[in-house]
Amino acid sequence: MSADGSGAAGHGPGAGVGARLAELLGDGCVASVSGGGDWARDTVDVPPGRWVAALTAARDELGCDFFDWLSAVDELPDGFRVVAHLWSVAGRYGVLVRTLLDPADSTVDSVVPVYPGAAWHERETYEMFGIGFAGHEDLRPLLLPDGFEGHPLRKDFILASRVAKPWPGAKEPGESHAGSAGAGKRAPMRPPGVPAPGEWGDA
Amino acid sequence: MSTTPNKDPYAATSRDTTEGKVYTVTGGDWDTIVGSDDPLHHEKLVINMGPQHPSTHGVLRLVLEMEGETVTDVRPVIGYLHTGIEKNMEYRTWTQGSTFVTRADYLSPIANETVYCLAVEKLLGIELPKRAELIRVIMLELNRIASHLVWFATTGMELGATTMMIIGFREREMVLEIFELVSGLRMNMAYVRPGGVAQDFTPEAVEAIREFLKVMPKRLKQYENLMNGQPILHERAKGVAYLDVSGALALGVTGPVLRSAGLPWDLRKTTPYLGYETYDFEVPTETTCDVFGRWMVRFHECWESLKIIEQALDRLEPGPVMVEDKKVAWPAQLAIGTDGMGNSLSHVAKIMGQSMEALIHHFKLVTEGFRVPAGQVYTAVESPRGEIGCHAVSDGGTRPYRVHVREPSFVNLQALPAISEGGLLADVVAGGASLDPVMGGVDR
Repeated sequence: MSADGSGAAGHGPGAGVGARLAELLGDGCVASVSGGGDWARDTVDVPPGRWVAALTAARDELGCDFFDWLSAVDELPDGFRVVAHLWSVAGRYGVLVRTLLDPADSTVDSVVPVYPGAAWHERETYEMFGIGFAGHEDLRPLLLPDGFEGHPLRKDFILASRVAKPWPGAKEPGESHAGSAGAGKRAPMRPPGVPAPGEWGDA
Repeated sequence: MSTTPNKDPYAATSRDTTEGKVYTVTGGDWDTIVGSDDPLHHEKLVINMGPQHPSTHGVLRLVLEMEGETVTDVRPVIGYLHTGIEKNMEYRTWTQGSTFVTRADYLSPIANETVYCLAVEKLLGIELPKRAELIRVIMLELNRIASHLVWFATTGMELGATTMMIIGFREREMVLEIFELVSGLRMNMAYVRPGGVAQDFTPEAVEAIREFLKVMPKRLKQYENLMNGQPILHERAKGVAYLDVSGALALGVTGPVLRSAGLPWDLRKTTPYLGYETYDFEVPTETTCDVFGRWMVRFHECWESLKIIEQALDRLEPGPVMVEDKKVAWPAQLAIGTDGMGNSLSHVAKIMGQSMEALIHHFKLVTEGFRVPAGQVYTAVESPRGEIGCHAVSDGGTRPYRVHVREPSFVNLQALPAISEGGLLADVVAGGASLDPVMGGVDR
C-alpha cells in the first residue's frame, strides 16, 4: 500500500515541494510521489508525533494556505493512515501529508488550531474510523445518528443491518418467482459487506 | 455493530393538543443547549430550523440561539441523508463506483462521476479518447448550468421571487431532457465510466444541445432583466453573509463563494483537466463577498459555460467514446437496448456467436471487474459548488480499497456559522442558500 512510486516525480509547478517539506521536518519524514501520472502529488509521510508540526510547516514555510481535506485509510494490521491534502493558492500546488497511527493508540493531535476548516473533517474521521484527535474541542459524531455503535469505515465493520433488513426486490434470477422451476437451487446471495455465516456474530 | 433495531434515532415524540400535534425535538445539540440555559434570567431563544424546512435545501437542520432578532449561535446538524456511499463502494467493482458517486451531490452528478473516473483512470494510467473528453466537457458544463438554475430558482424563492422559482426549473428541465436523450436518465446517470462515457452522442442529442445554446441566452437575459436589478433582491442579498478570502481559505471554502470574495480560483483554470486550458472562457469574480456577489458569479458562469459548450461541440469529431483497452472497456457496445441502458440484444448475440472466449471475457469483466494497480491518487475538478475531489486508494484488486470524496457542499457548509452569526434570522436563510449546500453531497 505504501509503495506508490508510479508517478512522474518533478512534474508541475509544485515539483519537489514534498522533498522540501521532508527536509524541513527532518528525521523520520519521508517524501514520495503519489500515483497518477500528470496528477501525481507530492506526498510526505511523517511520524504521528510530527503531525501538527508537519501541517504547520506546510502552512508557514511552503505557503499552503488552503486546507483542502482530511480523512483516513484503514490499513490494519499496520494501523490507520491519516491523510490531509493542502493547497498553495499562490503556487498552485498541493501536497498530501500522511501519518500511520499505531493500532494500539489510534490518536493524533488535532490540527484545528492550525486550520480551523479541519474541524468537521476530524469529527467525520473520528466517527467513521474511531481515530481520536487530541485537543479537538468538540469531538462528537457528525453524520451518524445518536447512539450509533461502531466505526463504519473500518474494514472490520460488518453491515449487519443488511442481514436484519434485506434489500427489496429480486436480486437473483428466479428469486421473484418463488416455486417456479429453478428457484432455490442456488445458495442465497449474501449482501455486500456481510461475511459468510459462522465467520461473524454469535453462533 | 449498528443502531438498536426498532428504534428510529431521528423520531420525535409527539402529543396531541387542542392546537394540533406538538412535537418534542431532541437529538443533535438540542438538549445540551436548552438544558444549559436558565430560562428565568436570560433572554435567549433557541430555535430549531429543519430538518424539514423549505429553506434548508433538503434535510439540513439548524439549531439557532437568538438574542432578540440577532442570531448569536448557529449549529448545523447534518447526517440525515448519510447513505454510506464511501463504504458501499469498497464492496463494488471500480466501474460500479460510478453508480454510487453520482448519488452524492445529486444536482451535479456528472462532476461527481468525472472526478471519480479521472482518479481511476490516473491509477490505471490510461488516456481518454478525444471524443470522450469533449463529451465529458459538454456534459459537465450543461450540468453546471442546470445546477445553477436550481440555485437561482430556490434562492429566488427564498428571497421572495417566486417567478424565478418557476422559470429556473423550466429551463433546467431542458437540460434534464438533454441528459435523458444522451444517457437514458435524467439524474444519477452513471454516464461517465472509467475509460470514457457509457454511450455516444446521437445526432438528435447534438441537435438538442445546439437548440439549447440558441434558447438559453435569451432566457439568461430574461433573468437579468427580472432579477439583477431587483430592489428586493438587493435589500436581501447585499452586504449579507460576508466572507472574505482569508476566511474562505481558512475554512476550505471553494467555488462561487470563494470567487465572490475576489479570488479567481477555478480548477478549470488553475489545474486544468480534460483539456480545459484550450477553451476560451473567463472566470467571473466579484469583490462584494456577499450573497449578491455569489448571485452574480453564478449568473456570469452560466454565460461562460455556454461558451465552452459551443466550442466543444464545434470540435466534436466521430471516434470512440471508450478506451480501446479490452482489459478495461466492455466488449459490447452500450447502445440503448430493450432495457433502456443495457447491451443491444443483437450485439450480445453477435459476441456469443463469435467466440466462447469473448463471452467468458465479457462475463468476467462485468461481474469481477478489472484490476487497478496499487497506489493512491488525488484528483479534483470544479463542480458547480466548488472543488470536488476524489482520493482513491487501490490495493491492486478489482474493488476500491478506499475512496474518499472531498465534497464542496460539506466543506462550504462548515462556514455557515461564520457567515450568519451576528446577523438576522432572515439572513441565515439568505446566507445558507448562498453556499448552495446539497445535502446528498454533505452527508454522502
